[in-house]
Amino acid sequence: MSAGRRGRGSVAAALLVAVLAWVVLYPLLIVAADALRGDVLAVVRSRAEWLALWDSVWIAIASVALAAAIGVPLAFLFERFDFPGRGVLGALMALPAVLPPLVGVIAFLFLYGESGFVARAVMAVFGLREAPWRLQGAGAILLVHAYSMYVYFYLFTRAGLARLDESMLEAAASLGAGRWRTIRRVTLPLLRPVLAGAALLTFMTALASFSAPYLFGGSFRVLTTQIVATKLNGDLPTAMVETLALTVVALAGYAFLRLGEGRGLLVAVGKGTAPRPRRIASAALRRLTAAAGWGLAALLLLPHLTLLLVSLVPDGTWTTQALPPRYTLANFAALVTEAERLRPLLNSLWMAAVATAAAVAAALLAGHLVVRLRARLARPIEWLLTLPWVVPGTVLAIGLATTFGVTRPLAGRFVLVGTALILPLAYFVRSLPLTGRAVLAGYRQLDPALEEAAQSLGAGRWKRLWRVTVPVLRPALAAGGGLAFVTALGDFVTSVLLYTYDTRPISIEILSSLRLEQVGAAAAFGVVLMAVSAAALGVGARVGGTR
Amino acid sequence: MEKRFEAAHPGVDVRWLDMGSQEVLDRVRSEHANPQADVWFGGPASLFATAARESLLAPLTGDSVFWLSVYRTPAVIAYNRAAVPDSGAPRDWDDVLAPRWKDRVLIRDPMASGTMRAIWGMVFERSLAATGDTAQGAAWLRRLDGQTREYVQNPAIMTEKLVRQEGWITLYDLPDVQITIRRGRDLGYVFPSSGTPVIDDAAAVVRGAKHADLARAYVEFVRSPAMQILAAREMYRLPARTDLPADSLPDWVRQVEATMKVAPMDWERLDRDGAAWMAYWDRHIRGTGKSGS
Repeated sequence: MSAGRRGRGSVAAALLVAVLAWVVLYPLLIVAADALRGDVLAVVRSRAEWLALWDSVWIAIASVALAAAIGVPLAFLFERFDFPGRGVLGALMALPAVLPPLVGVIAFLFLYGESGFVARAVMAVFGLREAPWRLQGAGAILLVHAYSMYVYFYLFTRAGLARLDESMLEAAASLGAGRWRTIRRVTLPLLRPVLAGAALLTFMTALASFSAPYLFGGSFRVLTTQIVATKLNGDLPTAMVETLALTVVALAGYAFLRLGEGRGLLVAVGKGTAPRPRRIASAALRRLTAAAGWGLAALLLLPHLTLLLVSLVPDGTWTTQALPPRYTLANFAALVTEAERLRPLLNSLWMAAVATAAAVAAALLAGHLVVRLRARLARPIEWLLTLPWVVPGTVLAIGLATTFGVTRPLAGRFVLVGTALILPLAYFVRSLPLTGRAVLAGYRQLDPALEEAAQSLGAGRWKRLWRVTVPVLRPALAAGGGLAFVTALGDFVTSVLLYTYDTRPISIEILSSLRLEQVGAAAAFGVVLMAVSAAALGVGARVGGTR
Repeated sequence: MEKRFEAAHPGVDVRWLDMGSQEVLDRVRSEHANPQADVWFGGPASLFATAARESLLAPLTGDSVFWLSVYRTPAVIAYNRAAVPDSGAPRDWDDVLAPRWKDRVLIRDPMASGTMRAIWGMVFERSLAATGDTAQGAAWLRRLDGQTREYVQNPAIMTEKLVRQEGWITLYDLPDVQITIRRGRDLGYVFPSSGTPVIDDAAAVVRGAKHADLARAYVEFVRSPAMQILAAREMYRLPARTDLPADSLPDWVRQVEATMKVAPMDWERLDRDGAAWMAYWDRHIRGTGKSGS
């Protein structure tokens, strides 16, 4: 490696760190300074606070376990075996990622709630007078988490498996290792970066999760809902101390899981072709797998179908019947005919696109600097990329609102609140971990010999990036970028604090419809959001899938 | 209403951002360097008092009037008429604690709702007036907690749950109940016989508003007799003005004025001690009523 390349790398790394620190770390420090001015001791002494803290932690750990238990086997099934419908089903499995916020949770309510389809069906079958369960407490939260977060494990593991080198598996087999031994000793160690990446994302998402505990928690308190309750009560100092506590827990979790990712020394050397999916030999087993796959897909699609159904119901007509008595397209017609209602969709699209493009570019630069050049600032870069997941979205939004709510040019603070820039900036910050983790994990699996070969063949820097690195990283880019886009498109937590009239996104329009008790209109928005998200992920999967 | 204002002021486009009153205060606070809002319309007067103390509002008339009352919003006991006949509905707050409503009461989460805070405040203030401390009120709220099926965060979801009979009765504010009824939901409501808190819903101009003069005109406009009557007819709002001709108001207003008993409230005290009461309820009462009984 030439000294010049190193030098340019250092400058680029320093610039990247400066920009990331400015938009990610600096706002948080301003929030932390506020927290330490509060009565820290009173919070530390309170039993209720410790209970909420403990509930947050165990819910997050259980969510990781459940999400991994569902996502990893599914990824193996779809990446390793061939059976009828594999392509379509494989894409459908990612659909929980496109269940929109707020109305998605409401779909769960109509489906699994005590007055939902499933409970009413059970009541009818067994002649019960009361619903057999309530969608409340830790069980309900875990149900929603497992459903929405297994997608991280599923997509990341598939991306990792797609990048595995078949020759390694063949070598293990020729050395006499059985199938399980190969999985345990070769496949899983090679997958460790992606698994640790997925675990990290799931843990952080579950820890910061707000809508599920907010709507289903009842009296079961986690820190995120505790913070909002405290804040709504006007006790901002205590809320800030609680926020700090949550951040500390998240940092500890991050440090622990980061150990599991290793130093990225295990890369697949060789020509890097992944094993082809194996056709399941037994015809009966093949059909059984396909049937189970379709059954599972149907189960995963139920919330989406429920939402579609609700969007077709005139408001107020569906009360205690098993199925809605009347249907209408009026809710959708309103979306198309009223310009005011089309605007939020366009807003969300451009803001999510800009934020995702910027986050992908930042992640590529970071991957190059951290993994390839091993820049001296590698660890700060990685740390800054992950930080937005470590802190809940609400805190990021409060941090941005505080930092960019005043004009102090010398302190690097400018008024962005109330402008069209603040939301794309917030989405960008929230997207960084998604694109960052995926691209870094991809880079770690990427054989440096490929780029070196291109260089020795005379390819310049941009040509290497465009012709070698990006194509090989495509699964990781598509996974990270797709998730980032869809997350920004449906973002609620940060939007609600930062939107303006001109930049109001879809989730805010859903919230407004709900406040006006137009559940059908809200569901119609949700269906449109879902369709756009699914299309985006579908394009992403196609881009990532071609090899 | 904004259409009429636009008609009276050509070139003006009135735009709404709809949110909870506590959220408005948060937003006005965080935007104080670059205020985006001109008018803050709706919310308990006590919140406006807090905002005025923090210099977030511009004076309306003179230097000392920072907000004006627009509507009066009473709390009611609402019920699903498919599950509860009108004759069987609770008549007063204490009736909600009767054994037959056990696990049938839905409550809008009181931390987020101004109406609920007013009811909770009334319970604590009654306890203070009767016994000199808040213990009796805390005990009452613990019994209510024992009756409560669920604390619901979102008003729309609470209405769904009430309509779908997950619960039968709830405590709510009058305009929301009436609008829900107009949407075809079969709900009924009663004014508690011992009196109900009536919230002063106010409007103000945000300090540093980009269109301050128009904003003042808007506040005057919503308080004008014609708009007060329109709001009563179309949005079920009780006018704050008392000088309106009685025959211009819809029947329901006269009925409400005849049947509603207003509970005496020390709003300044609620403004001062409310946060501590709510924090105590949240940490020590929520979820404890069932084990205690």
